[in-house]
Amino acid sequence: MNDAERPLSPPQSQLAYWIFQLTGWGVYSLSRFVGGVSVMNLPWAHFGLQLLCVDALGFGLSHLLRGFVRRHQWRALPIRKLIWPVIAASFVCGIPLGILTQFTDVALLQDPNEFLEGMSSAMRFQLALPVAIALEIVNWSFVFLIWLMIYFTAIAVREHRSAQLIQSEMARALHLAELQLLKTQLNPHFLFNALNTVRSLIADNPARAQNAVTHLANTLRYTLSSRQDELVTLSQEMDIVADYLDLESMRFEDRLRIDKQVPADAAGVRIPVMLLQTLVENAIKHGIAELPGGGQLRISATVQHDMLNLEVENPRPSAPIRVTHEGVGLRNARDRLRLLFGERASLDLDLSQPTVATARLRVPLQA
Amino acid sequence: MRALIVDDEPPARRELRRLLNEFAWVEIVGEGGNVDQAEEMIGSLAPELLFLDIQMPGGTGFDLLSRLEDLPQVIFTTAYDEHAVRAFEVDALDYLLKPIDPKRLAEALGRAKSAQTARMPQPGAVLEQIFVRDGDRCWFVPLREVRLLTSEGNYIRLSWGKEKPMLGRALAALERRLDPNRFFRANRQQIINLDFIENVELGVNGRLHAQLRDGPEVEISRRQARLFKVKMSI
Repeated sequence: MNDAERPLSPPQSQLAYWIFQLTGWGVYSLSRFVGGVSVMNLPWAHFGLQLLCVDALGFGLSHLLRGFVRRHQWRALPIRKLIWPVIAASFVCGIPLGILTQFTDVALLQDPNEFLEGMSSAMRFQLALPVAIALEIVNWSFVFLIWLMIYFTAIAVREHRSAQLIQSEMARALHLAELQLLKTQLNPHFLFNALNTVRSLIADNPARAQNAVTHLANTLRYTLSSRQDELVTLSQEMDIVADYLDLESMRFEDRLRIDKQVPADAAGVRIPVMLLQTLVENAIKHGIAELPGGGQLRISATVQHDMLNLEVENPRPSAPIRVTHEGVGLRNARDRLRLLFGERASLDLDLSQPTVATARLRVPLQA
Repeated sequence: MRALIVDDEPPARRELRRLLNEFAWVEIVGEGGNVDQAEEMIGSLAPELLFLDIQMPGGTGFDLLSRLEDLPQVIFTTAYDEHAVRAFEVDALDYLLKPIDPKRLAEALGRAKSAQTARMPQPGAVLEQIFVRDGDRCWFVPLREVRLLTSEGNYIRLSWGKEKPMLGRALAALERRLDPNRFFRANRQQIINLDFIENVELGVNGRLHAQLRDGPEVEISRRQARLFKVKMSI
């Protein structure tokens, strides 16, 4: 076995070859033996010995053929270029077996006519020796042709399967990478504005500045460590949303008013990490921050029919100044939900009311 | 120097005010929290310098500038939109990143001070430059570089270098603020910059054809042709 083949020929494929090879030849010999003895009334001992000799040669030749095919890398050839070599190889292997068959027939059965007498008249005709040998060669060539076809089919199936395996492995890796990427997108706008708020508070209100640094540290730690977990409980996520909202309240002061309603039965439900946070960030960015007078941000959760319903509602400018295309944040959130829950979870942004935007998240209780 | 702070976040305004305490020659005449409020304050307080945030409720800092006729000097203040400011094709302005580095603030103010002595904009006087916003692109356009202004409905198409940006204003309104020694009304739709005229040919019925450098040939109507001849013979 050369190096190029090694990765695709693990020990179990060697074993599979021997099982196939022995079973194939075994069944082929046995069916001919049973057919010859029961239908054609051939003497079982003589006929059995003949079959053993001939099929042992066939078995050996087919094994040599396999070595030849592997050495010459026929596997890599396209089917179109494989046709003639396969036919030629079948013929080359067919020659010795055809000759051997014919001569063992004659040698082992002293009087072939004796056996032929009991057979139908159609079968009972004498053939010239060269014609008989040629027919046997063609016969055996077909046997090898079929052997090669089975061999290449088995290889194709095995390669297809390992390609599929590689593909599904890659899809899994991609899936994981995608989740990582979608999850952690630290909003630099928020970060620098928060730092500016802290700088301002240091002079205005040192105690609040200290609080702000703690909130900012919590938010950053959560964002950075969320790489590890896919799902967190709603109450964990609410803690970080509270830190975030405290910081934003310092920035917007009385323009940001908050109403949170999370009942006890919803607090333990597991949701994708940073997802509620993304919705709250969007509500502030596209809603509160766009309104000179600000407004109320409402977060409410309910549990119904084995589903958690989360709503984030915010007032919004009636006529958006900029054309608000579906944001990256929302699209990423949807992609994550699909990757984690399939079709069982959903996220919709309801803009049917002119001055209110409501994000509705539905997540199954059992992930 | 009279300065106005425009930012929607109170802590950000307080922080900038505190930083500006170091510069006694900068007088803060007011603080605006959104574009509408700022526009009103600029009209009533006539600041010479604007500290302008970009993301604000009810419109961006760029929206505010495109509404102004008399432009104060502008220093943008932004947490993360420097790419938006850099998108300007003219570097006749400055920007500061929040939290603001006091050293950078001093540099920006130094530039503003030297620019102030160079030109003192007077309300109602001849306009030197305008702010133009066309789609995603913004420019501070020095009017002396504009060779042709063409009326298109309630908009004006400026022919300026290789650009042809649209200005959301009526030609008649802008005409009153243009330098009469430089700009001449050629016909109902067009005003030409006399500095760009290469040659003038006589047309039929007493009309004239003025060939502009880098630009099209503009027809001067019969009525305006008489004025043109008088103006040029002086």
